[in-house]
Amino acid sequence: MNRGVVYYILGRFLQSVMVLWIIVTLLFLLFRLAPSNPLASYIDINFTKQQEAALLARFGLDKPLGEQYLIYLLNLLKLDLGETFSYSGKSVMDILRADLPNTIYLTLSSLLLAYAVGVLGGIAMAALRGSAIERIGTTFTLMTRAAPQFWVGMLLLTFFAFQLKLLPSSGIAPAVVRYRWETEWDKLLSPVFWRHMILPTFTLALYLHGLPLLLMRSNMLEVLDQDYVTMSRLAGYSEWRVMIQTAARNAMLPVLTALTLGIGYSIGGNVVIEHVFSWPGLGRTLVRAVQQADYPLAQGAFFFIALIIVFMNFIADILYSLLDPRVGASAQAQVS
Amino acid sequence: MSRKLARISVIAALLALVMVAIVPVSSQDMGEVVPPIIVHSVTQAERPIEYETTRLVVENMRELGLEVEHRAIPWAQLIDEIWYSRVEGEGRAERPFQMTHWRMVGRPERSDPDEFTYNLFHSSVRDGGYNFVGYNNPQYDALAEAQRVEVADKEARLDLICEAQQVIRNDMVNAYFIHPLTPQVVNTAVFNPDSIVSQAGIGVHNFWTWIGIEPTTDDKTLITSTTSFLNSFNPLEIAGDAPSRVTEMTWDRLMRINPIGVAEPWAAESVVWEDPLNVVVTLRAGMTWHDGEAVQSDDAAYSFEAALAGTTQTDEEGNEEFRPEAPDYHPFARNVANIEIIDDLSLRFTLKTPSAAFETSSLAKLNLIPKHIWEPIINDLLTQDDADVDSIQEEIPIGSGPFKYVAFDVNEFVFLEAFDDHWARPKIDTWIMNVLPNQEATLGQIQSGEMNFLWEWPGDPGVLQNIVAENEHLDLFSAISIGFNYFAFNVRYAPFDDVTFRQAVAHAIPQQFIIDNIFNGLAAPADSFVSAALEYWRQCDDLPTYDYSIEGARALLESAGYSWDDDGRLQYP
Amino acid sequence: MQQDAMAREGQSGKPTARFRQGSAIRQLWETNLEVFQRDKMALFGLLIFAVFALVAILAPQIAPNDPLNPLKNNNGDWIKDAMPYWLAEPGEDEAEGYTNTFLLGTTNIGRDIYSQLIHGSRSALLVGFSAAAAVAVIGTVIGLLAGYYGGWVDTILMRAADVAFGIPFIPFIIVISAFFDPSIWNVVIAMALLLWRDTGRVIRSQVLVIKEQAFVSAARVSGASDLRIIFVYIAPSILPLSFLYGSFAIAWAILTEASVSFLGFSDPETISWGYMLQDAFNSLALSREAFYWIVPPGLCIMLTVMAGFFIGRGYEEVLFPRLRRM
Repeated sequence: MNRGVVYYILGRFLQSVMVLWIIVTLLFLLFRLAPSNPLASYIDINFTKQQEAALLARFGLDKPLGEQYLIYLLNLLKLDLGETFSYSGKSVMDILRADLPNTIYLTLSSLLLAYAVGVLGGIAMAALRGSAIERIGTTFTLMTRAAPQFWVGMLLLTFFAFQLKLLPSSGIAPAVVRYRWETEWDKLLSPVFWRHMILPTFTLALYLHGLPLLLMRSNMLEVLDQDYVTMSRLAGYSEWRVMIQTAARNAMLPVLTALTLGIGYSIGGNVVIEHVFSWPGLGRTLVRAVQQADYPLAQGAFFFIALIIVFMNFIADILYSLLDPRVGASAQAQVS
Repeated sequence: MSRKLARISVIAALLALVMVAIVPVSSQDMGEVVPPIIVHSVTQAERPIEYETTRLVVENMRELGLEVEHRAIPWAQLIDEIWYSRVEGEGRAERPFQMTHWRMVGRPERSDPDEFTYNLFHSSVRDGGYNFVGYNNPQYDALAEAQRVEVADKEARLDLICEAQQVIRNDMVNAYFIHPLTPQVVNTAVFNPDSIVSQAGIGVHNFWTWIGIEPTTDDKTLITSTTSFLNSFNPLEIAGDAPSRVTEMTWDRLMRINPIGVAEPWAAESVVWEDPLNVVVTLRAGMTWHDGEAVQSDDAAYSFEAALAGTTQTDEEGNEEFRPEAPDYHPFARNVANIEIIDDLSLRFTLKTPSAAFETSSLAKLNLIPKHIWEPIINDLLTQDDADVDSIQEEIPIGSGPFKYVAFDVNEFVFLEAFDDHWARPKIDTWIMNVLPNQEATLGQIQSGEMNFLWEWPGDPGVLQNIVAENEHLDLFSAISIGFNYFAFNVRYAPFDDVTFRQAVAHAIPQQFIIDNIFNGLAAPADSFVSAALEYWRQCDDLPTYDYSIEGARALLESAGYSWDDDGRLQYP
Repeated sequence: MQQDAMAREGQSGKPTARFRQGSAIRQLWETNLEVFQRDKMALFGLLIFAVFALVAILAPQIAPNDPLNPLKNNNGDWIKDAMPYWLAEPGEDEAEGYTNTFLLGTTNIGRDIYSQLIHGSRSALLVGFSAAAAVAVIGTVIGLLAGYYGGWVDTILMRAADVAFGIPFIPFIIVISAFFDPSIWNVVIAMALLLWRDTGRVIRSQVLVIKEQAFVSAARVSGASDLRIIFVYIAPSILPLSFLYGSFAIAWAILTEASVSFLGFSDPETISWGYMLQDAFNSLALSREAFYWIVPPGLCIMLTVMAGFFIGRGYEEVLFPRLRRM
């Protein structure tokens, strides 16, 4: 690794930190716009004005805006996101720490499934170019990208959960099972958990597979045009070997970058699916927190999602520059 | 010159004064159009039934010549715009609320009419308490106070309660329209239907069912769910309907409200009134806490002392204010003047004033908590300015009730198991409540058997009826609730300060239509804050009726001097 | 959006679009003509939009009933959960005191689903086109300025784009929708605030290429002002690119509006397809297997979104001919 690359990574890192800081500031300001009392979900309807004032003091909401902002930044550095209003005795971090793994399992499993299917499908589509199968396949993929995810989820639910009664309709497991889970490992080793994950994973993957498939297909078509592919064809290699070994390998790079970015964006986009399947993740918590006017919790969930996205954007940038030497640092801006 | 100037300024000042005096009057000048009205409700996504009802009533109000906006907002925000926006300038909303859909839920301690009679309408709780509509009627105040201390003569108290209902109905302070028939579904393939107890005004999801329900299979687990929040597991906090279900089983009480709505001794072996101010309570012998310690009279005494504990603080303006550490329970213990421990099992409560509702709303309300656990916690809280018991969550909650804690995951689930050493050990072994905000999921689970007791259903009741009809293993139970749904008017301001106007709006509420179409028949007509479920307290002469009739409403307005302009808009008299 | 941009650019370091020379209006017209002549799918997309636009404009005339007011039978009660007339059991309607003429049945409180579907096209198209216009205009202007001026203007605008890329889109819209009174314009505003990022970046990189070309230098030598060069000489060449992003933005906006409405953050007095699905979901249409209620709104969303995709791909194939199917 040469010095240029190290500088590049360092520069990108600092830039990401700056971006995060601006987002965090915007977030702070955004939540001052909230329509109801910041304590709305906390205050009991029996409270007196004095009790309210005491509460405002307890959450630091009586201080001037500038001071609140500083406290907020300092706390963020310590990953202290404050107390929730609607869950008594729990901090925002407690709630989010429980949600985060669930969101990650769902995101990763659906992305992996989507990219496996997408890459293979893309190769197949490229190999079958011009055929009726390709036309049907591509159209189907476009349809899955155009159909609202929650609607696909609803249809799958109706069919598999309500009509055939094959799969559970919501949550991650019944309480009878859940209370025995002491650690994340217990959860991951539980077949019940995986059964609950099937429908949401499949719904998400159905949507997500379109991007790698289309990307892989067009990359393949381009690579197949290149001289070195023609060369290996001439050298007498089987068509299969040409496809997989030569072409696919070269067409994979951008797909990998897309996967990295996909992790961040899926976590932000899972909100709706988590709602449909009552999946206890960051997205569901965010929606409920907003509905309950539990602003510290909503703010915390939002921050977490943004953090993951910025981090993944950073990783994608690095990957892109390391994997594809054709791209100089100046062209980075083009990779969103 | 200067004298002339002075005279002019005096005249000007006088004129200004007169103007100021006239303006409030002229704002309701003859013939002025009634300004636009905002009617609040929760959002459709949150509670479809309440949203649709409000929508219907708003449509009807428009036919009276009113300009009406239906403002549907989430519950948290609604509290802000109603509960905390009662008077001009106080609210966080731009102006005080005018009219809103509201509901009071049924709770066992509301089996005594005192809570609703006093708290909903007494002028002393107008500013911060439950009388958020701002009703202020000295004649009514007298009635509400009198029924409270009428301990000896139950019939005399009935007369007072009846009169109170008459006054409220006449004044149309709240437009009641239904008592829900809370629909509940039980899987009778795994439970004996005869062992399910229906409690008056509450339904089958009550303490007596939890301890009495008989499983008919080897799996002795009752699984239920809630669509709302399960955010605390705390004997000194009233956090909502679902947490209340949990606390009432984990912590015992001296008395409990029995299935017909009367308080009877429970953890107490006897409750003996020496006179209207003194009552001696004797505990059952041999009770233990879930950690094995014995339950004694000093625990019982401490349970009340904890609710009474608090600090007196002085604010910036020099006002002294008492801040209870358990603000939710403090009102129910407030009437206790002194507690005297007689021996290990008996104690004497001395009250400040005689109270007809003391058994129902205090002895049957406060949870018995172990002194050895809570005394250090409360003492610690007393030294802190800004924390109360709501911020406490015990690692392992300890009570003496028939169920004990196994696991609790905030807003996910509660897991309890039968306490073997309890003298009334439940017939089931485990009791589980899941949080399922998604109604579709709730339906899926009750049909598949994943859940076997559905106690709460905010959705379309018709769906539930269909499900039960289609599934042989499910039975529908429904009971008329103590609670009610109604439209609350802010009677402090025009146009709702006018009785006739409120009565006209009441005529615009299609009660029977709402019951038939929105509730699918699963509701009973309401005309008072005392539910038909509380039969004794409804033995009154007929209350005034307000039949649904737009013409009737318009005629009523016309007779009071209201008129309509050329565009058909309603004008003040 | 984000990922669609990736799909196009991923295959090589620098995509180069084809540019035409000649009068600004003519070249724009020719590009557009070429897109729809060459690509039957794009034409099909345009047709879908045209049909839905017609439906939206004529909605009150086409819709047999009011979309919000429940239908009533002869007794004045709501006609709840009526099946579509072609599925319902004959005679059932007369027994209940009404005549079943409902193409898609009624909701659980007796609203006509078919009429809702027709009225739903209004909010879909309104949100789709206004959000797309906002995104395309903002993105194009920012891309032009950043690309042309370079230096600190570029740095600031592109860092702003980085920030926009770091803000999670759906959560942002949820928060905005919850904080302001429910309205379909929340979605438009939130999209305009965030989604210019893709358009802005791509257009900037194209401007970097174009501004080195001879006709731009010529204009500069002849003394044209910066703004004139940007908007008269450069802008027409990159406008097809704005259209491309605009078409994808239509699709994205319709999907987003549907998601936000589905989560319950929309105005219940404005019928949209997403709202219909929310209503169906909360009214338990799934367990009732009321497919006639669940399927149509989703299909309409899918069709309009696909129309946006088709048109976008049409532009793509004309602008980036190497992508063309072989």
